[in-house]
Amino acid sequence: MIYFDNAATSKPYVEAVEAFVDVNKNNFGNPISNHGYGRKAERILEKSRESMLNLLSLSSSFNLLFTSGASESNNIAIKGIAKKYKNRGNKIISSIAEHSSVINTLEKLKEEGFEVIYLPINALGYVDPKDLEKAIDDKTILVSIMSSNNEIGSISPLDEYSKIIKKYPKCFFHSDITQSLGKIKMDYGCCDLLSFSSHKFGGVKGTGGLVFKKNISFEPIENGGEQEYGFRPGTVNVAGIKAMEVALKKSLSNLDDNLSKISKLNLLLRGFLENNPQFAVNSPLNSNPYIFSFSTLKKKASVVVEALSNKEIYVSSVSACNSKKEPFSYVVYALTNDKEISANTIRVSFSPESSEEEVNEFVNALKQIIVEVKDR
Amino acid sequence: MNDRYIMIHYGELGTKGNNKKAFVAQLNKNIRHALKNFDVNVTYDHDHTFVDFSGEAEPIISRLKDVSGIQRISLVYKLPRDLEILKQKSLELIKEAEGKTFKVEAKRTDKTYPLSSPEIERAIASIILKNTSFKVDVHNPDIKVFVQMRNDASYVYLNTVSGAGGYPLGMNGKVLMLLSGGIDSPVASYLLLRRGIKIECLHFASPPYTSTAVIDKLEDIIGKLSYYQEDIKLHIVPFTKLQEEIYNHVDEPYCITIMRRMMVRIASIYAKKTNCLAIATGESVGQVASQTLNSIQVINSVTNFPILRPLCTLDKLDIIKISKQIGTYDISIRPHEDCCTIFAPKKPKTKPKEEECLYYEKRFDYETFVNECVENIETIQFKSGEKVE
Repeated sequence: MIYFDNAATSKPYVEAVEAFVDVNKNNFGNPISNHGYGRKAERILEKSRESMLNLLSLSSSFNLLFTSGASESNNIAIKGIAKKYKNRGNKIISSIAEHSSVINTLEKLKEEGFEVIYLPINALGYVDPKDLEKAIDDKTILVSIMSSNNEIGSISPLDEYSKIIKKYPKCFFHSDITQSLGKIKMDYGCCDLLSFSSHKFGGVKGTGGLVFKKNISFEPIENGGEQEYGFRPGTVNVAGIKAMEVALKKSLSNLDDNLSKISKLNLLLRGFLENNPQFAVNSPLNSNPYIFSFSTLKKKASVVVEALSNKEIYVSSVSACNSKKEPFSYVVYALTNDKEISANTIRVSFSPESSEEEVNEFVNALKQIIVEVKDR
Repeated sequence: MNDRYIMIHYGELGTKGNNKKAFVAQLNKNIRHALKNFDVNVTYDHDHTFVDFSGEAEPIISRLKDVSGIQRISLVYKLPRDLEILKQKSLELIKEAEGKTFKVEAKRTDKTYPLSSPEIERAIASIILKNTSFKVDVHNPDIKVFVQMRNDASYVYLNTVSGAGGYPLGMNGKVLMLLSGGIDSPVASYLLLRRGIKIECLHFASPPYTSTAVIDKLEDIIGKLSYYQEDIKLHIVPFTKLQEEIYNHVDEPYCITIMRRMMVRIASIYAKKTNCLAIATGESVGQVASQTLNSIQVINSVTNFPILRPLCTLDKLDIIKISKQIGTYDISIRPHEDCCTIFAPKKPKTKPKEEECLYYEKRFDYETFVNECVENIETIQFKSGEKVE
């Protein structure tokens, strides 16, 4: 099989799975238990926390809150801040290309009376810093803009946004870095809060994190025990967290080599698709090379994805096919303003294990399918 | 001695004369199979099946309600041949029942018992009248209290639960059911099964236009249907090429009609091959363009094989109600395209003409494709809803 859907989820590293199993076998205690075995688990947990903050060069002024993944992190960050700091202002700025866990959380806040601004994206797929500069004001308490877009891979200039936001001391800057962490180089310290998921960089599913500056407090969105600074109740998944630490270490230490390898694969694929009248490339140049989005111009993308799937080549179409409601990528639409292209999007997403042979095989399969499948 | 039994009354079986023995034997085989996960002992005589059980009666009765060929199911109490005890138990049972009127029906198989049947009836009716607000209605009672005085013991029960009716599964042969995965065809399958008609399922798949997720969906639907029939075969027709040929040669408004005609052709050939006595579909008259009487007529005319349409007069809402009841609704509404929704024409013909169909069908050598479809059918065998490798 060829697995090119790593932006959805990635195969966990063997080392991560081993760490997960090891903790479950040998240190299954509850870190808040008041006995030796619980404290052993707590030591593992706190060491992982410290180690991950160190890996991100964030040790001094940041905390790391463990969650079930980036969706939960986004919820805690956005709802938690909005509710905690609503006395400072009620305006939140984000972008139209955010992940659903950001957009739908913001929509909920909108119902509760918050003013939410979704900034557009430019031709390169990210929010123009000038637009942010125009929109931000003293009432703004939060800016939430993702790092790498999960559908097209465009990379936002977080450091430029940061400079603008710093002029407004009451405003926090949150970024969902799920598709960037462990994949591309970035300055983690330019934001106040960062969300991520472990299973996108070789960890196991069900763990993630929210990095936040130590001076930030949240209104907890779930109530329970005092775990995780009192912001996220529930027995902590120590084994998953240990696996996440192992995966992050491995991803970051191989980041440069992997990045240059994947950039080549990306260019290879781009070269083929750009020269074929059947396809339109959506991903802007200089995007995160791990994510590559294109559209079929004559065929129905969901049919092409199904045909690939029948050849055990797994890529992603916009969303599950629904005979009543046409699938539609709002991100690609924001970029192209073309409904047909947005409804026929295919995303290829690589992992460090992806190879040139796989890309060639994918291209050949695609060529064959384009001949076989009926036009839409 | 266990003092409770579940008594099963045979339904239309009673009209079957000489065949009755075989029907009763088949029904009891089916009952034993349906109750295989319960701790029960099943015995039967000419008119009834008795289920000796321990624990709760309700789950067993509920299971039996889905076995075709059963008219009624009653919870029967076996008591000593003591009129006082019989009276007290009758009173206790009717107090828990809902209704305003009652009637006692006594039967005395032991003719040596000192009281006659009417005397037993009067004795029981009188204790009920004295102690409850129930009134007697001999013509149309809400509750019937049945009492039997036999040689070994006395029995009392109220007529309680209706069974599924129909005939025992396996006595009426089998049909080839066209199963799409939508809401209708599983309901049609269920109605056939509860009539006692066995099914094999035929599905038309058009990969990659249809997703393999549809097959997963069908497996789940068959899981629900296996509640009524343990062994079910799913035959999958590779329909892509023929469907593409249709769309290459036929004008858009006629595509669906021709497609359905091809499906019936394939189903007819395959039904004969699998010893099915008829084809069955989930069609309901007028529901969609291909289900108008005109369409049905033109589609049906390609075969002289019988086509059963259990849903033909049912309203969509009634069909949905049954599909919810049998648990297939939530599976059927999962959003996947099936071969009927892909390339759906914008204006399908509601009154197609056979001459037109024949004209289009002359444009390509469909017989070769039809035969190819039949030859390449793949079969998945299910037992109790699980795939058998």
